[in-house]
Amino acid sequence: MRAARTAYPLKWRIMDALEGVAAAIWPARFKRATPYLMLLPAVLLVGLLVLGLIQIADASLRTLDTTTFQFSDDYSIANFRRALTEPLFLVVAQRSLIAALIVTAVTLIFAFPYAYLMVRTRSPRLRKFLLIALFLPFFIGQVVRAYGWLIILGNQGMVNEALGLVGVAPMRLIYNYPAVLFGLVQYMLPFAVLMLAPALTAIPEELEAAAGSLGANWVRIFIHVVLPLARPGFIGAGVVVLTLSLTDFAVPAILGGGSQDFIANAIYDQFFRTSDQGLGATLALMLVALGSILVGLVFALFGAGTLAMGRSRA
Amino acid sequence: MKRFKPTLSHLSRRTFLQATAAFGGASALGLRGAYSQEPEKPAEIIVRAWGGSWVDSLKAGVSDSFTKMTGIAVRHDLTEDNEIQPKVWAAVAQNRVPPIHINWDTTTNATKSALRGVTEDLSDLPNLANVTDLAKPAGLEGFPIVNTYGYVYVLAYRPAAFPDGPPKSWKDLLEPKFKGRLAFYNDGIGFHFPAQVAGGGKLEDIPGNMQPAWDFITKMKAQQPLLGEDPDFTTWFQNGEIDAACTISTNAREARKNGVKIEWVVPEEGAKFDTDGLWIPKGLPENELYWAKQYINHALTKEAQQVWLDGLGLPGVVPGLTPPKDLVGDPSYPTTEADFKRLIRISSKVQVENESEWFSKFKAIMQG
Amino acid sequence: MSGSRSKSFVLWTLVTIALITLSAPTVVVLGASFTGGNIITFPPDGLSLRWYARISQASDLRNAFLRTLQVATVCTIVAIPVGTLAGIALAKYAVRFEKTIQIYLLLPFTIPLIGSGIGLMLIFGKAGILGQLWPVGIACCVINLPFMIWAVTASATGLDPDLELAAANCGAPPLQVFFSVTLPAVMPGVITGSLLMFILALNEFLVSLLLVDARIVTLPVLIYNSIRSIITPDLAAISVVFIACSAVAIFLLDRLVGLDIFLKSK
Repeated sequence: MRAARTAYPLKWRIMDALEGVAAAIWPARFKRATPYLMLLPAVLLVGLLVLGLIQIADASLRTLDTTTFQFSDDYSIANFRRALTEPLFLVVAQRSLIAALIVTAVTLIFAFPYAYLMVRTRSPRLRKFLLIALFLPFFIGQVVRAYGWLIILGNQGMVNEALGLVGVAPMRLIYNYPAVLFGLVQYMLPFAVLMLAPALTAIPEELEAAAGSLGANWVRIFIHVVLPLARPGFIGAGVVVLTLSLTDFAVPAILGGGSQDFIANAIYDQFFRTSDQGLGATLALMLVALGSILVGLVFALFGAGTLAMGRSRA
Repeated sequence: MKRFKPTLSHLSRRTFLQATAAFGGASALGLRGAYSQEPEKPAEIIVRAWGGSWVDSLKAGVSDSFTKMTGIAVRHDLTEDNEIQPKVWAAVAQNRVPPIHINWDTTTNATKSALRGVTEDLSDLPNLANVTDLAKPAGLEGFPIVNTYGYVYVLAYRPAAFPDGPPKSWKDLLEPKFKGRLAFYNDGIGFHFPAQVAGGGKLEDIPGNMQPAWDFITKMKAQQPLLGEDPDFTTWFQNGEIDAACTISTNAREARKNGVKIEWVVPEEGAKFDTDGLWIPKGLPENELYWAKQYINHALTKEAQQVWLDGLGLPGVVPGLTPPKDLVGDPSYPTTEADFKRLIRISSKVQVENESEWFSKFKAIMQG
Repeated sequence: MSGSRSKSFVLWTLVTIALITLSAPTVVVLGASFTGGNIITFPPDGLSLRWYARISQASDLRNAFLRTLQVATVCTIVAIPVGTLAGIALAKYAVRFEKTIQIYLLLPFTIPLIGSGIGLMLIFGKAGILGQLWPVGIACCVINLPFMIWAVTASATGLDPDLELAAANCGAPPLQVFFSVTLPAVMPGVITGSLLMFILALNEFLVSLLLVDARIVTLPVLIYNSIRSIITPDLAAISVVFIACSAVAIFLLDRLVGLDIFLKSK
């Protein structure tokens, strides 16, 4: 037994058996369908959300009767009309859209050098430190994190006290639009770095060295070598940050001081405060549409991101 | 002593409750075990509650003594009242057992659930025989909910910011020095009605004409107030972010207990008075429903109310309660006719039907 | 040479700003958890461990934490195969309607969390599986799945199709090519992705809030709910314990698989 295993290890036998099973269920002639089979589990899993969306779409066509708090049996587009005509929703939609764009740009600007340093540094210790610094903020949760910011940026916070020492009157640094943008950038930065880093690891360092030896300075190397090669990573990171900030609920609620609502906050209000699930569902659907259109636009303008590289050579 | 209300007859009654009532209602709990038909006890019941001093008071006053009396543990679910609502509604719609046995809720929110028909009728609770009118939800048939106390949305302020004495009017908050130093609930709850008066309107015009309220709120918007929820007010007072807020007196009192220098008044325009209550969602197994009802019945005893409401600093619904020492004569603890005259009460029916419109109006002004 | 000096100056300036921004609130909360006072302040109001003593008494916190670990484990175990396969499929093959599929797979990010939560609550409710922990894990997996997929596709840029072809030419059957060539190539992405999935599941509260009840409440939901009344230093202490636990986990992971080799440039 023992001798047999060394001659032909168990692992191989298992692999052989698996290959056999795989070949039986999925013969080579199905090969063209392989990628679709690989996508299937993900498509099904996300399908759970689609099932939810169908429920939401149904709710969006029903209006609330506030004398019975039941929803109408028949369908109407009244909720959509409200969502499109009430100025409040236009204000919050505009606010979230602009914020999402600004936050995406700023986050990428900070995420790139972070990821670059993390990938290129020769010191494993620094690399680990940078990596851990990315993950730690997740663990204090958004609300406690916001409390931390209040202590730092509040009227009696550390920054204002420091400014007071040089004679500057206390300023409102928190609970306004810039604070929300700042909070979102801080929240999104780790995601962006983690999306960018793998794309940067794929860029051979020799390429930069070669460009340098040909006399290009580092700015030109970045612009002409690193950034184009890292483009898939940028698109991935950008799309993630864009969609997550567009649909964010917690940061505007906590750092906005109550008057900087995003669309998701308006949706929250409808679902939880006024019990109007119909209108909430309508706003949610429109937000999904807006987000998907934006993503489609990004793909149309810049290509579908991370995929290009591996395949372009195939 | 009336044992149960005649209105009960048209509603479906559970047989075991008939039995309870027949054997002498009010004392059913005291004589537990005496009847073979007492339904099986669940290991625990789940009561939704607000956190902090709210749940601490409920535990001390009602839950602990209920457990002592019945042996049934009480678990408190601290999900917000707004956030439990869709969960309960979905459970009832899908014929599932609801996630909680008892919901401690605002009367307005509870009324929505009652209108929707997801509440159990509580008319046969023996202790309803000796409660005040406040306990009865206005504009609803029977007792789909039981109000358990009232509270006031006071004007809470830092005395240091008001060197000339306490504010007398909500209009005092329009002074330029309070720019960025005020806070309201983020849907404006508690502030709509006094704003109607402060804006020169009449309470009788609610809900028909609330333009004066919106005009006043628009003026207030220019003060760039912060908008938040209960914990925000405490946080903001503690960290010196605000000088005044329209909030429930309990939160102000809690902040004071935590060492924040804070006082409160009912300004001359009045302050909103409202109630909270308890209700039971439909869909519980019969025995759990029975014990959930016993819990609410217990919450209506004088002993339970006294301890619970001492913690909250709020006036209850059974006669003969004594106010906590620090609140004797306080406008947030109304006891006399004259006290109530200074407060604004609007029927929950009007509130429920119009609240979402008021909320979005307030939001539209504040988000603009 | 001055070029490289200006380069590291610019890089380090941006990274320092990022580092301060990332860690400032954590540092404050860390310090504040040792306060002797009743409210979160920094610098802390006297040094004391009273808030730690208080949370160590609370068995509901411990149970909630254990449940959260279960949820995060379910989430990660599901996410790894599902996300890896999808990521490789997207990166390696020319898939028809690729952009549409991408947009579809990004639904978890374009649907606001509240919408996802309500939707999943209705779906799981109908299926009669609410009140258990594993659906919460599935939910956390779905709403963060794009992270897993994108982490894998991002690292699949390093995937060399020639290498796979070579292996196949040498007679390696498809599964063997997958396990010995394709998978190792995307391993950095798998590690990054699953780490992220696990950590995000540990901290998810908005969707979970709608899917748990008081008997199976998870730690982030418990924290979120208690925060809605008053913010006391015990929350800071919980956060610190949480950070400590994860630091240990990250340390162990580093020892076991070596975190940094996955991010080092080749």
